[in-house]
Amino acid sequence: MARTYNWQIKREMSYWYPEKRPQRQFAAVFDINKCIACQTCTLACKTTWTSGKGQEYMLWNNVESKPYGFYPLAWDLKLLKAMGAQQWDGDVYAGRTIFEAAPAGSRVLGWRPEDHDYAYPNVGEDDCAGTIEKGASLQVPHLTWFFYLARICNHCTYPACLASCPRGSIYKRPEDGIVLIDQERCRGYRECVKGCPYKKTFFNPMTGTSEKCIACYPKFEKGLVQQCFANCIGKIRLSGYISQPDKASADNPIDYLVHVRKLALPLFPQFGLEPNVYYIPPIHAPASFLQQMFGPKAQEAIQTYRKAAEDPDLAGLLGLFGSTERVVPRWSRQNDWVIGSDESGDEIVRVPLKEPVYIREAFDAKRQIARVNCP
Amino acid sequence: MRYVKRLLSAALCVVLCGTTACRKPAVPPPTEVIVTSARDVPSDPSDAAWQKAPEYTAALVMQDLVEPRQLTATTASVRVRAIGNGTETAFRLEWDDATRDDLPGAARFCDACAVQLPQKVQANVPAPQMGEAGRTVEIAYWNASRQAVVDGRGQSIKDLYPNASVDHYPFEAKPLEKSPTSQAAMTERYAPARAVGNPVANPTSAPVQDLIAEGPGTLSPAPSATSRGKGMRTANGWAVVIVRTTPIASAPLGRTNIALAVWDGAHEEVGARKMRTGWIPAVLPRQPK
Repeated sequence: MARTYNWQIKREMSYWYPEKRPQRQFAAVFDINKCIACQTCTLACKTTWTSGKGQEYMLWNNVESKPYGFYPLAWDLKLLKAMGAQQWDGDVYAGRTIFEAAPAGSRVLGWRPEDHDYAYPNVGEDDCAGTIEKGASLQVPHLTWFFYLARICNHCTYPACLASCPRGSIYKRPEDGIVLIDQERCRGYRECVKGCPYKKTFFNPMTGTSEKCIACYPKFEKGLVQQCFANCIGKIRLSGYISQPDKASADNPIDYLVHVRKLALPLFPQFGLEPNVYYIPPIHAPASFLQQMFGPKAQEAIQTYRKAAEDPDLAGLLGLFGSTERVVPRWSRQNDWVIGSDESGDEIVRVPLKEPVYIREAFDAKRQIARVNCP
Repeated sequence: MRYVKRLLSAALCVVLCGTTACRKPAVPPPTEVIVTSARDVPSDPSDAAWQKAPEYTAALVMQDLVEPRQLTATTASVRVRAIGNGTETAFRLEWDDATRDDLPGAARFCDACAVQLPQKVQANVPAPQMGEAGRTVEIAYWNASRQAVVDGRGQSIKDLYPNASVDHYPFEAKPLEKSPTSQAAMTERYAPARAVGNPVANPTSAPVQDLIAEGPGTLSPAPSATSRGKGMRTANGWAVVIVRTTPIASAPLGRTNIALAVWDGAHEEVGARKMRTGWIPAVLPRQPK
């Protein structure tokens, strides 16, 4: 084991390989508050990448309802239980990561799902599991709550799948940090399936190899966002690159949301992988649940989000989500407009801070007919 | 008194005759793998020719030197016989295994075994743990799933999961049937491991793979695939024959070493998680009969 620095848990930790960060790191921000679990992202991915034989059960992108939804079943609960208490000392994670908690003979603390754990995605997870007391009314925070968690591979800085593979068949691309399984070298040992805490590597029983989200690298290499991003009708996703905290740049949209405003947070940072998909936490879920899932800064992020409407920069940048199929590495606000640009500063997209409102009279005097609210 | 002594001596002689001297002396078990010479090498585990080959019982130990390590002892031993004709050498491995594990799945692992030999004649053999850098070992690997395919298991998901229900594969759309080339290209796009020629991924016609290695984690396909074999269930486990070219490392009258490994799918053994032997001396025949 080597000693590496993980900024998400603010300390050094053990990892199988020495620290070697890519030249640039693909990253994403998902605004959970805007997700409606329509699964368009899931199907966009499915039809693009996993419609083959042996891939039937695979969802490289999935959306599950928390707290009772999982894909695969109990993927997070099983590992959280195996890890034991996960104590934070302020911003510093005081517990053990999955690398530090690895049992004898293994490189990572993990578990391997059974076939049936993948068999029921989304079934029953939105059903209200609690009883409603007499006299209960709609209030905030909600008495009964859930939220939708969209998940892809986190293309981690310290991937557990990569660390787990005894053959070195998994690699992290130096140019963009995307984590891939070498399909020519993989022999289907499924150590990666066991090791990935997010359960985003999948065994293909027809080819005998394991497969995973490739961050749509053929598109990303051309400056285009991933299929699950481009097809998100709720426009909850932003694709780009993230810097190290000490090199954060406020005109980089991902850096601004993660490092400058600390609005978007990693998923289960205590696992120790430094995952690169960041979530704006849901505002109506209990604080303790969110702290376990997104770390000690969850409530601060929610407070920032609640005030976003009064903050033209933040509101403007949130409006940039899903506005173009091109990756937007730079952004700025000019009065009532938010502009997304490429690396050389050329404008890619321009969105208004506030969409104009058009009011039509209910009665069309020209045609002498009442208007109705349908096309 | 002399009479009594004679009587006791005679009685002792009778006893000894009854226990040892008058019985055919038992053949001690071989302390090395002796490759029996034959004109034809059998490729079927049930071939009667195997009865003529002495059986060596190799104790298996846990692979507990490199991660991921095997920390639970499972298969205790493997019984090996060998027959060679100078050109080819056949190894028959037999071991106890209560369950047939030949269906791959997310958490379903398959039974397997392997025979390893050093590639070159060297004063010292390479490390038995998959060889060393610059000191290659050759490995012939048999897998129960590949055997099941050779024995006729189909190549659809329903052959692995009988209750699977599939709505549609895009490459099986009706319009594509008019263009087999486009259809094949689309099918390949959804099977990337096959598209890049990974031997693990391609539909197989042989249950044995030829591999080489220069240390743990370096396993790769051999430049040429020549080995063949067959595995079958016995009353207590598996009997597998692996036929491979007689190793270069063993000249006529030569000696070489072999190492064996067994994977029990029911115990999730795969890759480095296996039961193995160290090097076992092997004696090859003088001349083919």
